[in-house]
Amino acid sequence: MKKQKYSAVPAAVILILALVAAIGSRTFLGPCVHEDGTFGACHWAGQALFGIALVMAAEGLIAALWKNAAVRAGLYISMLLTAILGILIPGTLISLCGMASMRCRTVMRPSMMILFSLMFVAAGTGALLSREG
Amino acid sequence: MNIRKLPFTNLLRKPGRTIALVLLTALLALSVFGGSVVVMSMQRGLKSLESRLGADIIVVPSSAQSKVSFKNMLLQGTTGAFYMSGENLTRTLEVEGVEKAAPQLFLASLKADCCSIKIQVIGIDPETDFIIQPWIEESCRQELGDMDVVVGCDVGVGAGDTLKIYEQYCHVTGKLAPTGTGLDSAVYCNMDTMNKLLKAAEAKGITHDITSEDEGLVSAIYVKVREGYDIGKVNSAIQGHTRKASAVRTKSMITDVSGSLSGISRTVTWLTAAIWILSLVILLIAFAMIVNERKKEFALLRLLGTSRRLLGSVIRIETAVCSLAGGIAGVMIASVFLFPFTKLIESSLGLPYLTPPLPRILLTALATLAGTVIMGSLASAWAAGRLSRVDPGIVLRGN
Amino acid sequence: MLLEASSVEKWYLRGKGFSNRFFAVNSTDLILESGKVTVLTGRSGSGKTTLMNMMAGLLTPDGGKVLLDGKDLYAMDDNTLSRLRNRHFGMIPQGAEILPDLTVMENILLPIGIYRDRYGRSASEAEECARELLEQMEIGDLSDVPAKELSGGERRRVCAARALAGAPEFVFADEPTSDLDDDNTKIILSVLRQATASGCAVMIVTHDPEALGYADIHYRMDGGSLSVLPEDNKPKEEKIHAI
Repeated sequence: MKKQKYSAVPAAVILILALVAAIGSRTFLGPCVHEDGTFGACHWAGQALFGIALVMAAEGLIAALWKNAAVRAGLYISMLLTAILGILIPGTLISLCGMASMRCRTVMRPSMMILFSLMFVAAGTGALLSREG
Repeated sequence: MNIRKLPFTNLLRKPGRTIALVLLTALLALSVFGGSVVVMSMQRGLKSLESRLGADIIVVPSSAQSKVSFKNMLLQGTTGAFYMSGENLTRTLEVEGVEKAAPQLFLASLKADCCSIKIQVIGIDPETDFIIQPWIEESCRQELGDMDVVVGCDVGVGAGDTLKIYEQYCHVTGKLAPTGTGLDSAVYCNMDTMNKLLKAAEAKGITHDITSEDEGLVSAIYVKVREGYDIGKVNSAIQGHTRKASAVRTKSMITDVSGSLSGISRTVTWLTAAIWILSLVILLIAFAMIVNERKKEFALLRLLGTSRRLLGSVIRIETAVCSLAGGIAGVMIASVFLFPFTKLIESSLGLPYLTPPLPRILLTALATLAGTVIMGSLASAWAAGRLSRVDPGIVLRGN
Repeated sequence: MLLEASSVEKWYLRGKGFSNRFFAVNSTDLILESGKVTVLTGRSGSGKTTLMNMMAGLLTPDGGKVLLDGKDLYAMDDNTLSRLRNRHFGMIPQGAEILPDLTVMENILLPIGIYRDRYGRSASEAEECARELLEQMEIGDLSDVPAKELSGGERRRVCAARALAGAPEFVFADEPTSDLDDDNTKIILSVLRQATASGCAVMIVTHDPEALGYADIHYRMDGGSLSVLPEDNKPKEEKIHAI
């Protein structure tokens, strides 16, 4: 029972990280901007990350507010899987620019992978903390 | 209750104190490890630049801008398109004291298929080249044939792939080892291929200062000076003998780079030292305060028959566990921010930056951990040592 | 076992110079007999605690010796003396110090856990004994409570249990009843009195007159000098049974 007292904390952490990822994917952590106005693959990877980050943020918010331990545990498991998706999107599921010196590969990919890895760890911790008994 | 469990019990049941100590040592480890890796990477980058610039003199077109863009191309991978007459190669070879002269021809691709940005294409003459050719030979055995290219490690294609440049299909025969410089994002081919690409570029409407009718177009000439000749004199001889070109001593360029590099690495070193000394002082104060606060606790342990040596080891284990945890956390945090962002650091420094190989990183990490644990232990031993000389009876009475 | 102090003295410097020596304990002889409760009374600052700390191996005397079965405590190295104190001496310190982050039971068993090869009572025996003592002192239900949550009276009782659980030959209690109400005072004093039944020598430093009722031998300390008060030296059996 004592453990469950803290089971909302990871959700709050995820909410913050996901908001950073969502805002970042549109601004300071975003993909390369093309001078000629066309969109490369990295742009769509950025869009996908934006969407996933918003879903994570929403799940985090719900998990933080919902008191029921089982519901919370379910949400954490869902966030765990969503975080894996977030880690796999840039470069693995959606390709980025070919040149390693491009912004999408120097900034967006590493920062998003770090953010989603942290969310993964937080979701795992949350799932453990909200186990019953 | 066992005294050997006591250090861990103390740590677990005083989470605030434990976390503060761990954070402090984490800061110490973070600064030492991060600082050393950055300095090591820059030094390694400089070395690799030196080995890639195995020429004494570089001849480039004379407009001042090209010299700047040449350096930017070399260091930051920005594309350069500057040309001079191929006559200059013959003229350079005529100068007394020139042992070898290797031409290079640059072309900035509009957009390759793989990339959304321009790539620098560098044409070399495999026969005379002594700059790029040895590097290519390190990574791939095959000779550069017609329409063959090798790519720098940052270009997102591999051997066996095809690269489309100005609608021309080029066969990628190899990928080069990293240098930590702009050379990593370039594509290399022989002069025949290069001339074909130039023609194709022209067909697409890309014009250059000099028409490609001139078969002997070059962008830069790398010169090796014969032994026994004064490089400075040869340099000015070339300068006088060539047209619309300027000869630059590579040493001055490397000195430039190593100058700014040593500036930055000095800053990093000082910063590391400052953070290190600061956290050491804080650590000492923290331990002194903690030991003072726990004076009665330690005196009680003495009172119950704990020998000085045993009490010392309880305190040592507590500190060692704290500083080891802090050290690991610090190294991990530094790693998370340093290694994924290597390219970002390289491009924002504008200097060659090459991460050391894994064994050296691991060694640095281990040294950092050992250093942190030793620092923490010394700090706590110093604080505890002052206490244990006093008779416990006196401490407990509060005198 | 016999613990005796032979012309021990302790002095402190007040101000500068040799002439400003202040004697906390003048050259004093004292023998602790097994199976007896020795009570030492006196005004504050009369040197009672200083004398007891010297007897207990905690404070190096400036003159004289403290002998345990003929062996000089202060001629031993720190390790030997610490082990000896751990095995044979039980302490109830003046401030009733306990480790606040440990539970009551962990505190009581702490002295037994210090040395792996400590001879004497094993941990399980000690735990058994500790539970009995806690029951006896009416705090049997507190054994798993963190020590920082205890009240002053409970802390003193835990200290008494800690001192006795390892079955020491000598127990030193420094003001064990200060700030305690009558009930708590009686509980602690009678537990100490009971320990003498198994041959333990108990030394109590106090200015609580209540303690005299449990004393076999009563000394008075005045200005660093000890005097025996024979008129008080008779066991008060009836008091023990009154609890």
